[in-house]
Amino acid sequence: MMRSEIDVLTPQTLDEALNILQQRQAGLRIVAGGSDVVVQLRDGAMKAERFLNILSLKELRYIREKDDQLHIGSLTTYSDITNSQLMREHAWVLVSAAKQIGAVQLQNTATLGGNLGNASPAGDSLPPLYALDAYVVTRSKAGRRETPIEQFFVSYRKTALRPDELIEEVHFKPMNSNDRGAYLKLGLREANAISIVDVAAVLRDRSANDSFTEARVALGAVTPVITRARKSEKALEHKPLNEKILREAATFAAEDATPIDDIRGSAEYRKNVVVSLVYQALYEALYGRRKASG
Amino acid sequence: MRIERAISFKLNGQQVTVNTPPAYTLLEVLREQLHVTGPKEDCAKGECGACTVLMNGQPVCSCLVLVSQAQGAEIITSEGLLKDGRLNPVQEAFLKEGAVQCGHCIPGMIVSASALLMRNPKPSVEEIRTALSGNLCRCTGYTKIIAAVQEAAKNWSH
Repeated sequence: MMRSEIDVLTPQTLDEALNILQQRQAGLRIVAGGSDVVVQLRDGAMKAERFLNILSLKELRYIREKDDQLHIGSLTTYSDITNSQLMREHAWVLVSAAKQIGAVQLQNTATLGGNLGNASPAGDSLPPLYALDAYVVTRSKAGRRETPIEQFFVSYRKTALRPDELIEEVHFKPMNSNDRGAYLKLGLREANAISIVDVAAVLRDRSANDSFTEARVALGAVTPVITRARKSEKALEHKPLNEKILREAATFAAEDATPIDDIRGSAEYRKNVVVSLVYQALYEALYGRRKASG
Repeated sequence: MRIERAISFKLNGQQVTVNTPPAYTLLEVLREQLHVTGPKEDCAKGECGACTVLMNGQPVCSCLVLVSQAQGAEIITSEGLLKDGRLNPVQEAFLKEGAVQCGHCIPGMIVSASALLMRNPKPSVEEIRTALSGNLCRCTGYTKIIAAVQEAAKNWSH
């Protein structure tokens, strides 16, 4: 189908959009900020007969705290996340990823919901959301569904989103002064580079001796879906942490990851990078951005 | 069958309406239908910034925006940064500093730099670099481009 033959439907309200999805016709694709969809469309990688343009749904663009959870509407852009005081104080791991996605132009248009829906293993907002134990809220005429983020991503580029649903928001427990976290990304350069490996680490509920009750380490761009480094996480919980333990935990991360080989890096290279990046992320989470060498 | 829709937006201060296939990009419509050729198509993937325009005051890649998504928006290209037919301080400074080599990336650079000075009239070098990190110059003439933005900041009055 020629691009000149593709129609674009632009609903003005969420309800209108959900009505369209309830009677969804074959060949309908959802577009938000467009930064992935338009590229795929022009590459010929996306077959579409019509688009549902949801960028007009202002009601899905919000950041708020409610019932001890931070809620981010699916049409929130990375610039919105970076500029939000609430995010900077209580979700800085996600802010750090948002600032490293593309460059200013992309951060102004790309949306969090788009990153979830596109489901690329190199989606940079995904490791932080895994490390924050986020829930994905989806919405249809039939109502709302909440899915833990790990179950939302089913396999390579495949999500649990149903044909009649939209992604409404994500929510997670805010990070507070007893929590630590960091996000690090390795790309070919700083701006406009797709991740070779990215890592998010969150340590919750610190006690006086640098012991934490909960650790989350998530690896992006390594496997077909984001991987939690569970053995690393176990090695970090309920014990006073020091550099030696961080190094040991980082080594375990390579065991949880069976990396892919692709144009951006070989599996062997990625395995080495995972260990280094997990160590640096944990070091930065615990001690701040200092040397992190060794 | 070819589909056309009437899309209206404000372009460089003037209200325009175009009949266009709704899944064309804003960049295609700007260049090919409205003949506003400041924004360029280079990578068509949002990686080079040559197509940068302001959409509701924010720099975006017009190659990644469907023209339908510009409905009702305010779009400003490098042409629209002129005030009363005179170059704005960024454009002046690019000339003065000789920040232009082949010139292809410059309209995008000027839009990104002007957007920076609109929200931060006294940027540090680091802030200039970050604001321009999505604009690639394949002549690699970055030194003079950064110098031009520093120069423009001296004369920026907003």
